[in-house]
Amino acid sequence: MNSANILLVARREMAQILKMRSFWLTLLILPVALALGPLLGETLADTDPTRVTVVDRSGAGAANALEARFTADETRYLLRELSRYAQRYDLQGADRAAPWTQRDRWYTPQDLAAFEASGGIEAALAKIETVRPDGVPRFEIPNHDYRFAPPPPALLSAQGDAFAAAARGLFADDPDDTNPEIIVIIPEAYPADGKIGIYSADDVRGSFISTLQEVLTADLRTRLLAEDGVTGERATLVQTIAPTITIDSPPPGGGAREVLLVRSAVPIALSYILMMSLILSGSWMLQGSVEERSNKLIESLLACISPEELMYGKLLGGLVVGLMMLSVWVGCAGVAAYATQGAIADMIRPALEPISSPGIIVAITFFFLAGYIMVSAIFVAIGSMADSMSEAQGFMMPVLFAILLPITFLLQAVIAGNDGIMVQIFTWVPLWTPFAVLARLGSGIEAWELVGSGVVLGLAIVVELVLVGRLFRASLLATGQKPTLAKVMQRLRRTPDAG
Amino acid sequence: MSVLQIHHLAKRFDTVLAVDDLTFSVSSGEIFGFLGGNGAGKTTTLRMVLDIIRPTSGTIKVLGAAPDRRATSAIGFLPEERGLYSGMSAIDTIVYFGRLKGLREPLARSRGMELLERFDLADRAKSQIGDMSKGMAQKVQLATALINEPELLMLDEPFSGLDPVNQGLLENEILRAARRGAAVIFSTHVMQHAERLCDRLLLLRRGRKRFEGTITEARAHLPATLIAITRTDLSALPGVMSAVAASAEGVEGEEWREWSLTLAPGTDPGAVLEHCSSQGIALRRWDHRQASLHDVFVQLVGPEEVKP
Repeated sequence: MNSANILLVARREMAQILKMRSFWLTLLILPVALALGPLLGETLADTDPTRVTVVDRSGAGAANALEARFTADETRYLLRELSRYAQRYDLQGADRAAPWTQRDRWYTPQDLAAFEASGGIEAALAKIETVRPDGVPRFEIPNHDYRFAPPPPALLSAQGDAFAAAARGLFADDPDDTNPEIIVIIPEAYPADGKIGIYSADDVRGSFISTLQEVLTADLRTRLLAEDGVTGERATLVQTIAPTITIDSPPPGGGAREVLLVRSAVPIALSYILMMSLILSGSWMLQGSVEERSNKLIESLLACISPEELMYGKLLGGLVVGLMMLSVWVGCAGVAAYATQGAIADMIRPALEPISSPGIIVAITFFFLAGYIMVSAIFVAIGSMADSMSEAQGFMMPVLFAILLPITFLLQAVIAGNDGIMVQIFTWVPLWTPFAVLARLGSGIEAWELVGSGVVLGLAIVVELVLVGRLFRASLLATGQKPTLAKVMQRLRRTPDAG
Repeated sequence: MSVLQIHHLAKRFDTVLAVDDLTFSVSSGEIFGFLGGNGAGKTTTLRMVLDIIRPTSGTIKVLGAAPDRRATSAIGFLPEERGLYSGMSAIDTIVYFGRLKGLREPLARSRGMELLERFDLADRAKSQIGDMSKGMAQKVQLATALINEPELLMLDEPFSGLDPVNQGLLENEILRAARRGAAVIFSTHVMQHAERLCDRLLLLRRGRKRFEGTITEARAHLPATLIAITRTDLSALPGVMSAVAASAEGVEGEEWREWSLTLAPGTDPGAVLEHCSSQGIALRRWDHRQASLHDVFVQLVGPEEVKP
């Protein structure tokens, strides 16, 4: 075989694919998604807090209690996020006594008070800044869910139906987004009259109502206890007493399920990418082969090169295009991981760690390339038999089903942490081996399985290329009707009589 | 020097014997017509020479060696079924095939441009094949066959689909290649091209050789006919196989008759004329009608194989 001819054919195949608009569209899909994802996330996310006003006609202080409770809940959430951040980036040294460096606990009202007393989030961030290494992203303060504001004058004097009309008027006429979105009315006769009214511009979140109910229920109980002679201090204690709960959970990125997902993210993504790029470049290769047959080019080509050179050139061209796509996608993911911050970077960086050893990189490269050759050879064989794309589709559909459907189940099984008999079978059947092994690299695969399935795959590819070579050679100049399965089998078996 | 030698070549496809005990050779500078009807085995033979398919038996030698892809650089081939990559430009297509035949890119490009200029397509060098007319694309394909200045040029039904102007251009290219020293084989079942171009030809029928030789030798296969107007009975002339007399239109006198004479194979019409002259036979007309290649083809291959 003449390697120069193989390279020439490969170069032409590549040039042809690179001229296709569909190639560039496909190539740009991932980078555009990576670039637009965070932007869209930020754009579409509702970051403004919901504006709440409480019209407390009772004067019993329920409005203050409500605001205090929502503020406390948000501070608790802030502390939890801050402590996760400190633990993820090992920043506990900023202030080892601060509640936000002691993560494994439920933050008590005392913790919250201490946090506020020590200067709140601004003081905490200032301390963190003194120990934050380069490359560690800054902490992003979570948005407030609710913002409490004094009632507008229109609500203060309105009663009954007029109050409801005034509330709806505020919701309807709000060009500057400044009017309240939730209005809570506490009647004058509270606590004797316990009917609390809520007016809202949109659906009210269940968490809001349950918190409101919790706060007001506690208030009513405290008053009831006081009426029964319990001192105010004891009554409050009854309402606020709670067990001290400590929590022993894995650190961020830890935990069996989370570890599995993080470690498997890149391998499974590679498996998906292999599948996607194979389908795409396979269909492009198919188009090229069909064009050669339908345009009666084959005889001119075979006068210059052997069928094997043509076949290997096509495979090589498709492989290089596939690798180009992969390189661009991986490069973009790398840029997203190291040049950006946010959710994507936070996901990719830890996910790359388990696959950064040289052995794993070699394994990934081998199984990726082998998978490409394994499946592309089938596409090339189909291309050699079809005179038109519609005819090629007839061959393609069963092949795609045979490849893709099991892989979909396989990847779901791997994501679920399932290592059962189905995953084992997929690992050892050469057609699915590359996908199974790539997907399992994150969740753990025995070395003997890795090497063994690699050897079986390599041998299968050799046999496949011999058989596909026979089919390719026998089919190129064949004319007439679409070959039957029996004819295909005959071509696979036949000793070559073509040069 | 023989560029192509074929010896007892046979090719069987399942139950069909496509080529049967075929032997011939083509020398440098020779234009060799490979004639036969559809399914005669022409394309199969050419594919075996190109090593696209292998013979069942027999031998082929191209430039003294068994055919393989290493001989690609010495062979130019124009298939019967023509087509090119519709998305490639004319010059890139020619360069691509030139490179597959072992030429370096700069040489392939310069020769490609020369050919396009010769074919009056220089201004369309960068046009995509898909944007060209069928005739233009066929000329580009001819250029891909000539790009390597082949020692063996094989053209399978090269004139089919070409308009008269492009047929003339192709005839010139065939003559040019032969003058350069190439052995040219072309298959056809249009006899006029073969009569105009071929030094020698071979007639195939269902895989078997029916004739090989020059055009004169081919014509000699059929008896010559003579038309003579005379008052003498010519049926007894030596060398005359059959004679039919009819009244001679436009000639005064009832004794003048028009004779249609079929000569025995190998008889020289000049010798018959010389005999008439020596015998004092008065002649008012003497026409020698030589058999056409078409007639020979019909005789040897069968009328059903003839394409007008």
